[in-house]
Amino acid sequence: MIPRVAFWVVGIASFIIAPQLLAEYHLFQICLIASTALVVLGLVVVTGIAGQISLAQSAFVGLGGYGSAILATRWGVPLWAGIPLSSFAVAMSGLFLGQLTLRISGHYLALATMAFTAIVQLALIHSDPVTGGAAGMPVPVFRMFGVTLTTGRHLYYVILPSTALLFLLVRNVMKSRFGRAVTAIRQSETAAEAMGLDVLRYKAIAFAASGFLGAVGGGFLGSLSTYLDPAQFGITQSVYFLAVAVVGGLSSPFGAILGSAIFIFIPDLLQSFQTYLGLVFALLLLGFIVLRPKGLTSVRLPRYDFASLRPRGQQ
Amino acid sequence: MLAQVLVSSATAGAVYALIALGFVLIHKGTGVVHFGYGDQVMFGAYMVLIAQFLLGVSFWPASIAAIAFSGLMGAAIYGALMWPLRNASLLARIIASLALGTVLREFVRAYMGPNAWPFPFLLSQTAVSVAGVLVVPANLAIVAVSLGVLALLFFLFEKTIYGKAIIAACDNQIGASIIGVRVSTVFLAIWILASVLATIAGILVAPLLTLSPDMGLIGIKGFTAAILGGFNSLSGAVVGGITLGILEALAGTYISSALKDMISYSILIIVILVRPQGLLGVLTMRKV
Repeated sequence: MIPRVAFWVVGIASFIIAPQLLAEYHLFQICLIASTALVVLGLVVVTGIAGQISLAQSAFVGLGGYGSAILATRWGVPLWAGIPLSSFAVAMSGLFLGQLTLRISGHYLALATMAFTAIVQLALIHSDPVTGGAAGMPVPVFRMFGVTLTTGRHLYYVILPSTALLFLLVRNVMKSRFGRAVTAIRQSETAAEAMGLDVLRYKAIAFAASGFLGAVGGGFLGSLSTYLDPAQFGITQSVYFLAVAVVGGLSSPFGAILGSAIFIFIPDLLQSFQTYLGLVFALLLLGFIVLRPKGLTSVRLPRYDFASLRPRGQQ
Repeated sequence: MLAQVLVSSATAGAVYALIALGFVLIHKGTGVVHFGYGDQVMFGAYMVLIAQFLLGVSFWPASIAAIAFSGLMGAAIYGALMWPLRNASLLARIIASLALGTVLREFVRAYMGPNAWPFPFLLSQTAVSVAGVLVVPANLAIVAVSLGVLALLFFLFEKTIYGKAIIAACDNQIGASIIGVRVSTVFLAIWILASVLATIAGILVAPLLTLSPDMGLIGIKGFTAAILGGFNSLSGAVVGGITLGILEALAGTYISSALKDMISYSILIIVILVRPQGLLGVLTMRKV
């Protein structure tokens, strides 16, 4: 009980104090990490927990970003309403994609979701009148209660609480009957079906959830970057999100945050070696999947048994 | 008009077929679907350029050096990636092959720059008129090589004892090793062969497409061709490639060139849903 209260107090306190201490640049990066973590959380749900490989995440991100931007520019729907609205619509497309899993899995699912991403990207490029075509489109300003939120410092107050809320929601749902059901499906679909689970329904809902989270993250990322470029929503970007998830820990929601933080901070560390950025990301993914496929969250620090001054478990 | 469209589309089809053959070879031989194969094709073409820079030799020796090096690379891929992951989950292997492709692409982007490089054609580009239809010798070469590779692989798999060993090793590793097949050697040979094939394909295809780090995305067309033909069938890969080339050309001519790629990706999804075994494939039932 006490650790939990302490966790909440520290969490809320640092949320309030951070904007007072940190510079705009760092707040912007925190927002970036939170939004990326939301996108990757979607991947954790569908791939890490439900075991269905998905290369559709960047398509969901793109649809969320474009959807809310188009709602705002065409119909004047403010972003705070547009992002959830378009995310629900994207969740529906996720539900559709989930129906594919009735017949296919593994390689074929990876290919089908890959094709889905390619189709969405091409559709964004070729619908010039609505999406601005290959040149992309600007994202309207985020306004809420008459306040204009432009900088990372402002968006911080929208993005961080929403991210925290969605993470808590996912964490609790994963502990519920639903979470146990999708975990069972990952471990053995046949056994889960034999236990009377409606496998297709659960898989489709997992895809819908990944679509929703990806789209919310996409809406936030759009507001942060203020511009949508269709080149950012291709298969390559899907692999990037997969890399973030793998490095953090594919089956852990906390891994999504850890991975995102690493992938956002690395460009800062590399400074003058930006040309090698993509290569570093790719090598990280390759190294982790071969050497530590469960990601960073699976690393257990050695605990010292102070009585005998030896790491625990060694004789 | 229609005849010209069909002949021109055969080139694109042969390109897809050549890449699809690589996929099918790896899948038939090792049971892995290699998502980075398109990038390996791209890397093959770049290796010729890199060999030209580093060794200071002309195009032909550089090509031979690249082909030789790609054999080593195939061995490295098996030794460093696929062997350690032989007991890993399917998910891990899919991600590893995606990661391999990304590493190759990003290496080229960092080392050779993100822009396109010129790449020479092997044969004349001047069109020759055959019965009123324009035919380009350089494109014919791609069709010929695709068919040649198909014939070679077909012979290997169907007519030699090695082919039987490969199929056995892929089908049941323990069973195959009991009857004296060295499974690891077979898989190593497949990876070397497939990597060499990727480089040959890259050298042939690079002048037709634009040689940039993103050329590897052609891989998804190769997938579509392989799926269309049946992922386990060598002749299916060629039939699927040519069919895809023709469908694309027809869609580009009669519907809209903007929709061409979308149509071929939709074909991928539809075939996976409706006929996952492809046109020429045989459906294998998965046992519990």
